Amino acid sequence: MSISEFTPAATPVGMAAMPDPPAGARLDKKRFNWSSIPLLLPALGLLALLFVGPVIYSFYLGFTNDQLLGPTSKHFNFTGSANLHRLVDDPVFHQSLYLTAFFVIGSAVVGATLVGLILAVAMQNALGVTRVVVGGLVIVCFVLPPIVVALAWYAASTAHGTYTGLFGMPNADFLQSAPLLVVSAANAWNLTGLAMILFAAALRNIPTEILESAEMENASAAQRFFKITLPLLRPTLITTILLMTLLALANFTVVYVMTAGGPGTSTMILPVYSYLQAFQYNNLAYGALIGDAMVILATILSFVYVRLSRERS
Amino acid sequence: MSRKYRGGRRLVALTAIASAMTLIAACTASPSSTTSNGKTVLKVAYGSQFVFLTPQLAIKWWGTVAHEFEKAHPNVTVQFVPIPGGYPDIVNKMSLLFRTPSTAPDVAELPAGQMGEWVSSGFLLPVNKYLSTASYWNQIPKSVQNETLINGKYYGVNHGENTNALWYNMPMFRKAGLPVPWHPKTWADVLAAAATIHAKLPSVTPLWLAGGSAGGTIAIQYNGGNLLAGSTNSTIYDAKTGKWVVDSPGLRETLQFYKTLAQKHLSASVSELLNPNAVDGLPGLLAKDNTAIAVGANFYAESWVKSTCGPCWLQAPKIMGVTKLPTINGQGAGYASVLGGWELSIGAQSAHPQLAWDFIQTAQQQTNMIDASNWGGWVPPSNVANSAAAFVNYAPPYQKFFAALLPASQEEPNTSPFTVWGTGFNNATGAIIQNPNISIDAAVNVMKNYVTTQLGADKVETIG
Repeated sequence: MSISEFTPAATPVGMAAMPDPPAGARLDKKRFNWSSIPLLLPALGLLALLFVGPVIYSFYLGFTNDQLLGPTSKHFNFTGSANLHRLVDDPVFHQSLYLTAFFVIGSAVVGATLVGLILAVAMQNALGVTRVVVGGLVIVCFVLPPIVVALAWYAASTAHGTYTGLFGMPNADFLQSAPLLVVSAANAWNLTGLAMILFAAALRNIPTEILESAEMENASAAQRFFKITLPLLRPTLITTILLMTLLALANFTVVYVMTAGGPGTSTMILPVYSYLQAFQYNNLAYGALIGDAMVILATILSFVYVRLSRERS
Repeated sequence: MSRKYRGGRRLVALTAIASAMTLIAACTASPSSTTSNGKTVLKVAYGSQFVFLTPQLAIKWWGTVAHEFEKAHPNVTVQFVPIPGGYPDIVNKMSLLFRTPSTAPDVAELPAGQMGEWVSSGFLLPVNKYLSTASYWNQIPKSVQNETLINGKYYGVNHGENTNALWYNMPMFRKAGLPVPWHPKTWADVLAAAATIHAKLPSVTPLWLAGGSAGGTIAIQYNGGNLLAGSTNSTIYDAKTGKWVVDSPGLRETLQFYKTLAQKHLSASVSELLNPNAVDGLPGLLAKDNTAIAVGANFYAESWVKSTCGPCWLQAPKIMGVTKLPTINGQGAGYASVLGGWELSIGAQSAHPQLAWDFIQTAQQQTNMIDASNWGGWVPPSNVANSAAAFVNYAPPYQKFFAALLPASQEEPNTSPFTVWGTGFNNATGAIIQNPNISIDAAVNVMKNYVTTQLGADKVETIG
């Protein structure tokens, strides 16, 4: 018998017949569900209208000579790379990049994330009352409007404020003498509550059996934390750091209200410098370009974090 | 294809059509220039929180003017566009309003500063042809008229002005053995008085002179800008070369004054001087009776009266004296004061320029002009209005004094780069306040480097 003459054997005797495959699309592969489009359309529309469109327009504006007030406010032109050359040569922009990096890393990556983690771990074993009170206070700090945060920290860190009094230096002005440190502390204070919530939820999902087994194997508290808890917290850690980074990168109100980028340019982070150029110096296009730089920075950081979180999984 | 998928595609199509229709309807809706009963709408934009001494006084004044105008023009409805927030918010919002014809106001209350920019943007209508009907126009000093004079055309009329002088605490002066009334002739006299106060009354602030960038460039006209105006060379913008002055004898003299105050502890603490409220909060601070001398504006007097209460300090005339801020060596007019005013202008795209002018005329009638100044903390621009009893007796004895400063007061440049220059100036004064031992060269360099970076080396110069 040749292969062409081969026919599949009939169901062997004694065995039940194979059922027919179900009608419709195969379920072993992900397929796009067209009926989800109407449900997604409003969100896609909002995304396009409120994010994609403005970002694209902002990128275009950054390469024009648009002014808020001035000869090119009504009719502006595309100026090619003129603004880009200015940005590259602008020492205040370079300083702003460095200050922003310090602000983001100091207040978000280190400050809020670290303190949030410490609080979450500490509260795991705390009494119920302590957990409620401390947790409640920390969350209140997070939900306060940024203007309230700024004004509270301004009052506390200037002469005759709470912090200067606590340190026994009522006439000292911490905000003027260490402005970047104080605004970073204010931002970290504001964001810590969110980090604490994220870590607290993640800690609850760590199986207690693993920790109990380690304890039975005479692992110390530090060993259990660094060898078991922290590795299991990695996805949450990366997500939290990403969230804190993006929130700190976009922070404008706290810094602007407390110092307006001063004294001099000592707290001139990118959002404040972008605002100054666009709305005080009327250089709308240049301010937009600085904003574009922030978008690119945020995008790069997001990719890095997403990549880091995928590597593990 | 299953019925499930055909139904899904139908739903997609219907949703897309509905969304598109909603979007089109939203985008094509625009405000009308007539009301539903056919009346003409006149849009008037003004600062609702920052310009007048209180928001309530702003509402009262604008409401009165609108009522009088509508009574005289029954077919017109005034539509107000109040702009909340501070000075930068007013400038920003007004700029955005003017960029679109449908939102551009017919009448706008604009700060005199940056008037050149408003004009170069093409936002304002020249009012030269209307001025012949303005009976008050020739009563306004040239220095005030010229605030809106750009390339031979006037682009608005003044609504009210600020002038500046030295406020001093008379009981403190008497206690320290200083003369009352006080008439310093030079900066050295002012510093000597401050030093005497410091020696005899160590618990008070001898001389309040704010600086730094927290108060913004608007604050310059209430503090260091007055010193620069009284220096040996007050040039900020050199009209001949088209460049901004970043180093001059006048700037160095001004910075030296700040340095002397800081080094000899003749002023308030760093924290207080660099506070964003170091200028606006001064009426309250003086009322606390712990500051001997302050460089300050006329509006403090109007803040203390009962109808404003910002704060209420009815005893002020018995405690606070005022005297002219002398020029550095007594040269020139012998005193220095910087102008800071608000203008009423007509939008270039106004469909009703004559009505807009009629509204301005109503606002500028003597009673309304005086009320605006009393409630806005200004001096009326007209010398008839500012010598009228209704103004002079509103906050005696100060009103007449500050009105007399108007003719010789100086205007600051009114183009956008002034904001950059002002930031540089504020950075320099702030550097000195924070570090009194910084050299004048270093302080000048703080300003020079910043302004040069922002404007370009071809836009700045050193004089003297």
